Amino acid sequence: MSQFWLAFGFGLVTASVLAIAAVGLSLQFGITNYINFAYGDFMALGAYLSYYFNAEIFHINIWIAMVFGSVIMGVLAVLINQFLLSPFARRFNKSFYVLIVTFGLSLILLNLLYSIWGANNRTYSMKLEIYKHIGPFLLNKYQIIVMIISVAVMVGVHLMLKTTRLGKSMRAMSDNTTLAMTSGIDTKRITTITWFLSGLLAGLAGTVLGITESQITPSSGELFLFVIFAAVIVGGVGSIYGAMAGALLIGLATEISAAYINPAYKLDIAFAILILTLLFRPNGLFARPGKA
Amino acid sequence: MAQFWFYVFTLVFFLFDYFILAMGLNIQYGETGILNFAYIGFVAIGAYVTGAVSLPNSVGTAQQYIFGFNMPFPFSLLAGGVASMLLAVVVAAITLRRLRTDYLAMVLISLSLVLYDVINNYVRLFNGADGLYNVPQPMAGVLHLTSNAFVVFFACVTGVISLIMWAGMSRITRSPLGRTFRAIRDDPDVASALGKGVFRYQLTSMLIGSFYAGIGGGLLIQFGGSFNPTAWLPGETFVVFAVIIVGGVGNNVGLLMGALLVETLLIHLPAFLPDIPGHPGLIEYIDAMVIGVMLMVMLWFRPQGIIPEKIRRFALPVGELLNRDGHSVEAPVEVASTVTSATSIGETHEGNQG
Repeated sequence: MSQFWLAFGFGLVTASVLAIAAVGLSLQFGITNYINFAYGDFMALGAYLSYYFNAEIFHINIWIAMVFGSVIMGVLAVLINQFLLSPFARRFNKSFYVLIVTFGLSLILLNLLYSIWGANNRTYSMKLEIYKHIGPFLLNKYQIIVMIISVAVMVGVHLMLKTTRLGKSMRAMSDNTTLAMTSGIDTKRITTITWFLSGLLAGLAGTVLGITESQITPSSGELFLFVIFAAVIVGGVGSIYGAMAGALLIGLATEISAAYINPAYKLDIAFAILILTLLFRPNGLFARPGKA
Repeated sequence: MAQFWFYVFTLVFFLFDYFILAMGLNIQYGETGILNFAYIGFVAIGAYVTGAVSLPNSVGTAQQYIFGFNMPFPFSLLAGGVASMLLAVVVAAITLRRLRTDYLAMVLISLSLVLYDVINNYVRLFNGADGLYNVPQPMAGVLHLTSNAFVVFFACVTGVISLIMWAGMSRITRSPLGRTFRAIRDDPDVASALGKGVFRYQLTSMLIGSFYAGIGGGLLIQFGGSFNPTAWLPGETFVVFAVIIVGGVGNNVGLLMGALLVETLLIHLPAFLPDIPGHPGLIEYIDAMVIGVMLMVMLWFRPQGIIPEKIRRFALPVGELLNRDGHSVEAPVEVASTVTSATSIGETHEGNQG
């Protein structure tokens, strides 16, 4: 039984990382209505930007480096949308084109990271922290901070969506862009802000993934991407709260299964859950009409 | 000099092989509109199965793999194609009916990563990360070919196979089946309103495409004698997309052109360049970025590709037809079917529909 609770604790850590990433992807998807296949590479790029500040130039504390890395990633996401994705989305009505462009962008970013930092694993410069028993769990300080960050992000996103004008506009746009536009919402501005938030959360998720796994590689984001997809689809595509629930479910399921089967297959468990969801509840657990 | 011809025929082989792969993806994406981001997974299954059935029983060798039937050449290749089709049936049955374009693409790209993960980790299937090697060269023993002569021989064999498959594909795209595919690509709802079972046609298209993928993959392992997970990273799917988008979506001649430009000139020719000292692999990385950028430039400036899809014209039977002004026209008129013209795919002037 103790093994189960240990795995449960690791599951909560994975779920925390996954929730940040899934919410970032869902926010952008709700507004622009196409999937960003380069999202995993946004994560990796954010992780490397944090690494750059943390270990290569300023040698600053990892948490401050993380803030820098995430904000820069947010700005990059805005620029990428402005000069690449948004023109394609405006010009071609079918989502094919922009999907292929994000797929290509993923290839470009991945190889950019490889050419700059090489294929070797990198580690953040952080003090080594010992694992302590907290209740039935075995966690270290960094993992607890990551969980706190994740909860803070979730609460922040919730408050933003429910209480602020920006959040309400975003929900309106996600329901119906044309209607939102005719109601006087500046859809361009909302789209830009959404891309910033999506990039910011991608950078944040990439960095905390690097912290919890204590290494980063250019392809780490890409491998994580399908776990995010699983969380998003299981939760119900386009639903922010569904993404959070999906992240919790997938995070726990992958880590708990790793305690009982070969951990090499733990990510495949996410895929198995995805397939089961598709078979029995194709619109996800928190389905929104008209999205899938 | 022998070395030179060895290189040339290696390039010729990859040209024809990617022509086959491009035709397979083109029927799925270009003709039917299925965004198959797992395409390279189907290629890999074809390659592994072809390799595993043509190898002898794995007991007593350093490798672990299933099958091991010592199957002779053309049959091993067909086995690869069929295995790839079986995978397509399973995938299509679960996903095609339930998901629209982008979710389908999400699930498929996940499938490609999971397939990769499983084959990499489950060593007993296809020898894990080491992959299959020492796969017998088809007919090299019977014809007493040296390894240089084999390259020339097999490049020609691949050329012949690709021509046969081209002929088959041309028949399919010209047939009513091909027209239905294109109708589904242009608008699945309209096709279904006209009584076409969209799912059944998409399944057919997936099957045809994955057969081509399996054959193309099988030829890869027969040519090189080995195949391992580094050969089919998910990014490889993008290369095949680049081939068909550069060459011309929905046009078989364009695909050959695309294979020549992308696969031969951009991928395999730079592989012969010497490494930049101190930066191993840098050329490959830059190469991949160039392909990505080129594809975007191409999509923006010439989305129909180098050789665009022919606008298919159908002569209507004699009868009353109204022209644009509403006057009746009497003679049989050639009507350009704008729905199936490549220039109209996706390009609308309605703006974002949310």
